[in-house]
Amino acid sequence: MTTLLDVRHLSKKFVSGGGPFRPVRSMHAVNDVSFSVDTGRVVGVVGESGCGKSTLARLVLRLIEPSSGDVQFEDLDLLAQKPKPMRALRARMQMVFQDPYSAIDPRYTIRNAVTEPFQVQGVRQTASEADDKTAELLSMVGLSEQLAGSYPHQLSGGQKQRVGIARALALNPALLVLDEPTASLDVSVQAQIISLLEKLRDELNLTYIFISHDLSLVKYFCDEILVMYLGRVVEALPSTDAAARHPYTRTLLDSTFDPDPKLRRTIEPLGGEVPSPFDLPPGCAFAARCPVATEKCRTELPVLRADDGHPVACHHPL
Amino acid sequence: MTSAVWNKLSGFAPFRAFSSAIGIVAGGFLILLLLVAFFAPWITPFDVAAQNLANANAAPGWPHIMGTDEFGRDVFSRVLYGARTSLSVSATAIAISVSVGMLLGAAAGYFGGLFERAVMTVVDLTWSFPDILIALIFVAIIGPGLTSTTFAIAIAYLAQFTRLTRAQIVRLKSETFVEATINLGATPAHVVLRHLLPNALAPVIVVGMLAVGDGIVLEATLGFFGLGAQPPTPSWGAMMSSGTAQLFISPWVIIYPGVAVAATVIAVNLFGDELVRALDIRDRVRS
Amino acid sequence: MTMLSVQDLGVSIGPIAPLSGVSFQLERGEIIGIVGESGSGKSLTAMGIMGLLPLIGGQIDHGTVEFDGIELTGLSENEYRKLRGGRIGLITQNPMTSLDPLKKIGPQVDAVSRLHLGLDRAGAKARTVELLGDLRIPEPASIYHLYPHQMSGGMKQRIVIAMALGADPDLLIADEPTTALDVTVQAQIIRLLGDLVKQRDLSLVLITHDMSVVAQTCDKVMVMYAGTAVERGPVQDIFDNPKHPYTKALIGCIPHGLSETVRLKGIEGTVPGVAQYPSGCRFHPRCTIAEEVCTRNVPVFETGAKRAAACHFALEAAQ
Repeated sequence: MTTLLDVRHLSKKFVSGGGPFRPVRSMHAVNDVSFSVDTGRVVGVVGESGCGKSTLARLVLRLIEPSSGDVQFEDLDLLAQKPKPMRALRARMQMVFQDPYSAIDPRYTIRNAVTEPFQVQGVRQTASEADDKTAELLSMVGLSEQLAGSYPHQLSGGQKQRVGIARALALNPALLVLDEPTASLDVSVQAQIISLLEKLRDELNLTYIFISHDLSLVKYFCDEILVMYLGRVVEALPSTDAAARHPYTRTLLDSTFDPDPKLRRTIEPLGGEVPSPFDLPPGCAFAARCPVATEKCRTELPVLRADDGHPVACHHPL
Repeated sequence: MTSAVWNKLSGFAPFRAFSSAIGIVAGGFLILLLLVAFFAPWITPFDVAAQNLANANAAPGWPHIMGTDEFGRDVFSRVLYGARTSLSVSATAIAISVSVGMLLGAAAGYFGGLFERAVMTVVDLTWSFPDILIALIFVAIIGPGLTSTTFAIAIAYLAQFTRLTRAQIVRLKSETFVEATINLGATPAHVVLRHLLPNALAPVIVVGMLAVGDGIVLEATLGFFGLGAQPPTPSWGAMMSSGTAQLFISPWVIIYPGVAVAATVIAVNLFGDELVRALDIRDRVRS
Repeated sequence: MTMLSVQDLGVSIGPIAPLSGVSFQLERGEIIGIVGESGSGKSLTAMGIMGLLPLIGGQIDHGTVEFDGIELTGLSENEYRKLRGGRIGLITQNPMTSLDPLKKIGPQVDAVSRLHLGLDRAGAKARTVELLGDLRIPEPASIYHLYPHQMSGGMKQRIVIAMALGADPDLLIADEPTTALDVTVQAQIIRLLGDLVKQRDLSLVLITHDMSVVAQTCDKVMVMYAGTAVERGPVQDIFDNPKHPYTKALIGCIPHGLSETVRLKGIEGTVPGVAQYPSGCRFHPRCTIAEEVCTRNVPVFETGAKRAAACHFALEAAQ
């Protein structure tokens, strides 16, 4: 297995305020994140709102510039690329967005939307070639060719998300970053999209990074899982059946409901509040809510350690 | 056949502005006005500059249906011709204003940062000057006339279009489809020309159309003060200005151009409202 | 004792009929889950019960809604206003918009008991602080003086629940109460609602799109699809032996705990809009076992029975 993407010590600091009346505030949306993705794997990134998972997705694709760190994609130093080669390289790494409703220009027909990638990359097409390509891409994502002339507002959410996937696949990418692709869809449509993504991965030998807040979906869909909390990876589960070792991962698992009335669970109330990302404690960010936290957790930052191929950032792993 | 044509037309959003009685009346009036303005030299019954002092200040009747002015010129002909002057000055000015404003607004909205601040500061400065003052400055530099009026109107409305375009671009920039297009490897030019400007266009055009109405009032005002069209070119403002002296002798000289200005502005605004409704951009036309 | 009885409820908005054929009963101390995807009519059902349809230009077209022996469908707006927030509490989806950002949260909760129970200022405050404590809000006396923007989303949703409980209601209607919240917070709020029902002997109508939430909380379930009820029954029964093909398919859409061999399928097609409801059974275009009769005849949804499925070919219990 070859490494497709290698991320080292990636950080993004956002600064707000400044000027005489607003103090400068800064937050690390993503803080010292390292991981690698092998070709053909599905890596899940899971966490709650504000954990930095969407920022991480955009950093990996260099849609925003990181503050520090290093990204190697197909053995190229992504951050060293000049604008022109960078634009060409984008064909190899695509993204499917959370909100299919605004992911297509409302003035574009579906045909224009799925052939725009070729225009952008300077691939010349005759009208009939474009028609053929449109039909091919639409059938690949399970849409009827007849939708080619429609506008986005005439499509359902699920259909729009399929168009989004078709656009992303047009340029034969190696890596697809899926940023909560089903979060704004109904459950029955979510299942359709997930099984479509499974089919496409097998047919096209794709590699996925799957961003989600839904741990049960991530466990179902992914091969390995990064758990993020307030900008940091707190645990990297090497497989979906690996037992959780970080108390936060444990909490996430406990908060995920079984769809079976026989398996009702009581849930321990979490104490404490989520700290402000602008004012993180010196120690572990989860310490205030953690049932097993000690004084050490509040003062000393745990680093992500992988003694046995299962990295966890905790002073007292379970 | 006709229904196919109708379907095609009603599929074109701006055409739906004609789907109400107000839209038909206001739009019809504007189309008529455009035709009059365009064909004015050929359809005026009398020469607009021909004086006939023997028949000065004649009351409306036949053949001078709107009467004659202090030089015996036919008011009806001059009102028709005035439409040409007013519309062309106002439309040219607004066209300049819209083009420059869109360019500045799009650049400011897209690039942001210091450039945006610089552009917006200068543009806001032009907004804080009274229109008359700007016109006076131009008159001082290049002398009174239609060119001064045109530039004065163009500058008076520049800020409005710059701000409106900038607001549209800033809003559109955060849409997912823009990020998605950048992620396909698109150049900034592609993003601006294919996505941002086309989506920002509709509200700017509609506000531009409404501004043509205001421009006509401003042109009339400048004309009234003698800063606009110079004699003998007929303009609604200048006609009203010269009419004031004879207000009690021959009120028709001032009334008919006044009615023309009012009717045009009302029609422009009513039709503009219908356009806003037809294009469904009510919440976007405010900058 | 029956707290809420809805019989063959139908709603019209102008010429369209977005909701029809909704029937269920709710006893004191019970939780019913009304579950469905977007456009299923679950929120309209809640609005119909609460008398809020005029807000969206709708009205109850047919059917009855009986709350503790009182027929609600003919009630005037004034009579309804006494019930809403009084004997019937409402918890809405978005805690960010249900609170007045300019007022401290304590007085906002006070207003409910002052209006409906006639308490004085001090009495209302004492009651509010006690309520906040019951909702496991730490230091309720100091929380009382905070503004909504100073609180997290989960905490705000607890305040909304406190307002719903303010006048000691008999019935709570919660419309997607946790959809806007993070998973860890959602789990806590759902648990809290379950405990409240037990402690206070309330009845709860829980509207959700999430079958897992239903499984963890509810006593009975009504599944809705495209503006009509398709199946109803005790929660264990519904999960063990779904009789309606839609219910079965919906359970099959949950990824939780699926193994390598059992894969997600989803349901082909899309939920029809109000203007395109199919004839006969509204699920037939997406149904794998539909036959010709399903395209013609609307299946019956029994109103009285504990268990009902609106299907011409109701599935038999799995072996």
